[in-house]
Amino acid sequence: MRKVHLLSLAIAMASSTAYAVEQGEFVYNGFGTLGITHLGGEDDLDYGIQGQTNDGWRGDQLSKFAVQGQYGITDTLSLTAQLGTKPVQDSWEVGPGNIYLAWQANDNLTLRGGRIGTPIYMYSETLQVGFSYPWLRLPEEVYSLVQLTNHEGADILYNRGTALGAVSFQVSGGQAKNRDVYSLDDTHDIDYNNVFATSLALSTDNFGTFRIGYAEADIKTTIDENIINAFGSPQNYVFNDLDNQKGKFSSIGHQYDNGTWLSAAEAIKLTTESNNSNETTAFYVMGGRRFGDYLGHLTYAQLDAPAGRQNSMTYGLNYSMTPTVTLKGEYKRVDISQGNYTGVFRADAQQTYDNGVAELTNGVLGEPLGTPDGDIISVGVDFIF
Amino acid sequence: MNKLLSALALLGCASLAQAEVAVIVNAGASAAPSQADVANIFLGKDKSLKGVDIKDWTPTKDKFYSAVTSKNEAQLKAYWSGLVFTGKGQPLPTVADDAAVVAKVGAEADAIGYVDAASVTPAVKVLFTLP
Repeated sequence: MRKVHLLSLAIAMASSTAYAVEQGEFVYNGFGTLGITHLGGEDDLDYGIQGQTNDGWRGDQLSKFAVQGQYGITDTLSLTAQLGTKPVQDSWEVGPGNIYLAWQANDNLTLRGGRIGTPIYMYSETLQVGFSYPWLRLPEEVYSLVQLTNHEGADILYNRGTALGAVSFQVSGGQAKNRDVYSLDDTHDIDYNNVFATSLALSTDNFGTFRIGYAEADIKTTIDENIINAFGSPQNYVFNDLDNQKGKFSSIGHQYDNGTWLSAAEAIKLTTESNNSNETTAFYVMGGRRFGDYLGHLTYAQLDAPAGRQNSMTYGLNYSMTPTVTLKGEYKRVDISQGNYTGVFRADAQQTYDNGVAELTNGVLGEPLGTPDGDIISVGVDFIF
Repeated sequence: MNKLLSALALLGCASLAQAEVAVIVNAGASAAPSQADVANIFLGKDKSLKGVDIKDWTPTKDKFYSAVTSKNEAQLKAYWSGLVFTGKGQPLPTVADDAAVVAKVGAEADAIGYVDAASVTPAVKVLFTLP
């Protein structure tokens, strides 16, 4: 009953959309997702960045809600603040999102300072705004690899028209300290120092939008957990220890939408300096077609890490209920096709340790995780207002 | 044969009744953007002219956005939500109706709008029409 009530509330709010935005006044917009998701066929491991996708029909993996207010201090200087709620592990947290001052120097150039979105992926800055992209779940093979979504600092946005199309260039710098990183089914502290991110996009009239991006940060984190070691004794085991080692991320992407057909593709590479064996690459390719208010789409995604490969096929069907509310349904089949690897499936510290011991001792000690696979079904609505 | 002729005549009437949409600029404007340029102006990518949008989703607005940007109302809102929530753009300022678009475009040298072709006055110049 409660879900139905929330849904009708969301629709009522979304229907009263006001898009009139004028400078020098207060404007607010909002977005949200109400969705549930279920993992079948995998008993031992959960799925997703925070492991919130499991065999219960849980709403916290997909659901979120945020409002954004913008106030025009002068005709060219504005303050933007977001307040949102999203689930963090097993509880819901309400907190500020991006908060920044933006100064529009001229029609082409904007400078911003504060807590700003980090331009990592093609859909990075609208990660939370499900309404702006076709999926209910962005392809996790790519989108689970970097957990940093915003940082404190400044950026420069530059746009201009060229003979080839509209060019947008962004360069951003700053830091993100005392953040959470999800690993081994738990939360750990992480500092992203010297964050630098840049992207260049070309939006053509007939061939879609091409984007390249690069981001790096000095990462300081210790991923350690208390486990029972191979000799049956409790031990604090350090799984990963980074002391300001540089993480480097590069990406290339393309989006196309002619109103009927649409496609999106993105390929990324992630490395950590001084450890060349940890290069991770991933990509996805999506194609879709609209039939009136319906959109059918198909996505292949692949994640290649030194330990192995995960790949998946996603079949999605969206229905545009109103111009600001989209009902989405998705079926995703995930397989680990190579290696002793868990991909985006989440093993806890003990499982990971036991698996490592089993690998080292050829199965004499420890316990191998096996090869996870699963069927993920997701249903939800995305809305804006 | 007569039936066919009257059917054709009816079709002709129907297409006349279907209003054309005129894309208009100030009568004194020298710029003559192409349809692709107009799409970029109304999607906020090209700021060489100031687009004047209509507030409500009228049949004229629907025809204009479908023909020029290949986007329906939901697709246009999804597009702008991607910009609004990244701080990279705001939808264009809007006015209430055709008369207000014609008044604004007629008064401002760098304004561009779209109206039902029947609303065009000598204060504005028609760039092109959408059947």
